[in-house]
Amino acid sequence: MNVLIIEDEKSLAKELEIFLANCNYLCEICYNGKTASEKIAVNLYDFILIDLGLPDYEGLDLLKEAKKNNPEAACIILTARAEVYDRIKGLDLGADDYLPKPFSMLELQSRMQAIVRRKFGLKHTIVNLGDFVIDLNDRTISHQDKEVSTITKKEFDLIAYLIMNKNRTLTRPQLSEHIWGSVVNDDYDSNYIDVHIKNIRKKLSVHSAPDWLETVRGLGYKIKLN
Amino acid sequence: MKLQTKLTLFNAISKLVIVVLFVLLLPTLIRNINQNYNDNRLHKQEEKAIVLIQKQGIGAFMENGEPYSSYTLLKDEYISIDTTDGSIGKLDTITQQKRKVEGDTINYRILNRTFKIGKTNYMLEIGKSVSTIGDTDVALQSIALQVLLGMICLTILADLFYSNYILRPLDRIIQTKLIGNKFPNFGSYKKVRTTTSDFQYLDKSIHEMIRTIESAFQKEREFISNASHELMTPISILQSKIENMFQREEITDDVKVRLLEMQKILNRLKSITKTLLLISQIENAQFLKEDTVTIKNLIDDVYNEISIRLEDKGITFKTNIENDTSLPEVNEFLLFNMFFNLINNAIKYNKEGGEIVVKSFIDDNRLIVQIIDTGIGIAAEQIPFIFNRFKKFRQSMEQESFGLGLPIVKSIADFHGIDINVSSALNVGTTFTLRFPGVPL
Repeated sequence: MNVLIIEDEKSLAKELEIFLANCNYLCEICYNGKTASEKIAVNLYDFILIDLGLPDYEGLDLLKEAKKNNPEAACIILTARAEVYDRIKGLDLGADDYLPKPFSMLELQSRMQAIVRRKFGLKHTIVNLGDFVIDLNDRTISHQDKEVSTITKKEFDLIAYLIMNKNRTLTRPQLSEHIWGSVVNDDYDSNYIDVHIKNIRKKLSVHSAPDWLETVRGLGYKIKLN
Repeated sequence: MKLQTKLTLFNAISKLVIVVLFVLLLPTLIRNINQNYNDNRLHKQEEKAIVLIQKQGIGAFMENGEPYSSYTLLKDEYISIDTTDGSIGKLDTITQQKRKVEGDTINYRILNRTFKIGKTNYMLEIGKSVSTIGDTDVALQSIALQVLLGMICLTILADLFYSNYILRPLDRIIQTKLIGNKFPNFGSYKKVRTTTSDFQYLDKSIHEMIRTIESAFQKEREFISNASHELMTPISILQSKIENMFQREEITDDVKVRLLEMQKILNRLKSITKTLLLISQIENAQFLKEDTVTIKNLIDDVYNEISIRLEDKGITFKTNIENDTSLPEVNEFLLFNMFFNLINNAIKYNKEGGEIVVKSFIDDNRLIVQIIDTGIGIAAEQIPFIFNRFKKFRQSMEQESFGLGLPIVKSIADFHGIDINVSSALNVGTTFTLRFPGVPL
């Protein structure tokens, strides 16, 4: 899939490119609004990532142009300006998602996946893990056609995030950022993730051992999936 | 004591002193006036007698050299003429003397005057009784006292009303400029109407002071907001660099552990920056108050987020929500964060296996929410400072924090006009009491 990265911070744009290329996206980078505007007018993209704080261009204008010339593209706004009004305006203008800086690229990638699922009407994204079947759309986890109802919303979020970043070790800070990212609070301790994982294992083990949920010693957790 | 009371009291006391003085001096004054009056009369009578003697001749009064004397019926006045030898010399005096008349001793004011007719020296004596003068003293004093006291009361009332009127602008200045306004958001300058130049001066000075404070606050807020924004981009770059490095295959687990440490530290930096930015956004009133929430839903949401932490520490969580009224015109995101931080604190500073109770009820037409924990408590001398940024007093058991939890709570509460009260006892627990403004619908 083609991604246009519009970001004036060169090193950030580069890191985004490296990361997304790793996830098999084809990336193009624009460091300013003018070339971005030209590219949007000429090429067709699946994703356009727009930094709102461009020095030479009003980011929201780029969004309008993108919607006009690239109606199929999913636009994600990236910005350090986390003001509510910008957020509302961006979404009003047709942005598909909004990520305030600093964001985790894992978060970006899972949002992109979610958009893909939505856009291409993949009604049911079903993942088989060991004896379990996980439906990312219905947000259910079942064992031999029977739903495991004890799994809480937060626990499912964790499993889903690990699935979307499958075969990749996610660290505790990354996982806690995903599940508690919207809360502004004053501790940076992420050991609660361990408690969640422990609970998930306990609840699933009643049915069958979840070997696919691996602990990577000293680092974090990973779901192995081919 | 109030200025008005002081002024009135001073006025009343000073008037009272003057009145008492006047009443005490009254007898002396009356005596003096009477004496002057009597002396005048005596002189007039003297003139009359002399004129009569000149007209009718001394013989008309003194037959055969017998002394002449005449008393009025009640003996309060008399006149006598007698011869006298020349040894006294010329005399024209008024003296006070006691005379015995028919067994009564009467106080007389007596005029003595000598005059000469031919070779004979005569002495004219006119006396006037003054015994009755002192009699009215007490009565006069009491009447004067009553009348004057009545007058004092009237003037005190007048004073009260007038000082109340004249001091009203002072009260208005304090109410509108100092108390009524939420510090430091004062808005535009509105003159307090007064003709007293002292109050105009005060009003102006306060406003000038407020403007200075306000601009200092504004600068601080702008600085925090700008600094936080500027920090977001470099943090973003670092975060993505670390994330990308994790994916590199040549990186050993050993290096990955170090990267994880970096990630943790970066997360801390991120949290601090995000929190500071949030506080500055709240203080700049960049949030809308358009949501309607109920306390029960909010607490439930917080519980869902936080239950893992309760579980981890074996803490019992109870709610007792009596009046689950909905709160209009609030910002749900902010209120959620406020309760999250309060309950998170209640967990952090709680004991293993402790308890947290969230109570909600109506008191005095205001919705009250209390968060009560059985934790380590806060020392009384530290309570005034717990809402200060980056102040960490309580050593939490295991977790680390950076001292911005309560400042967020405070900013959000201020933004919504919620009063926060903290009561705490060391090793017993802490209670945060939130008083919501007005009656919720």
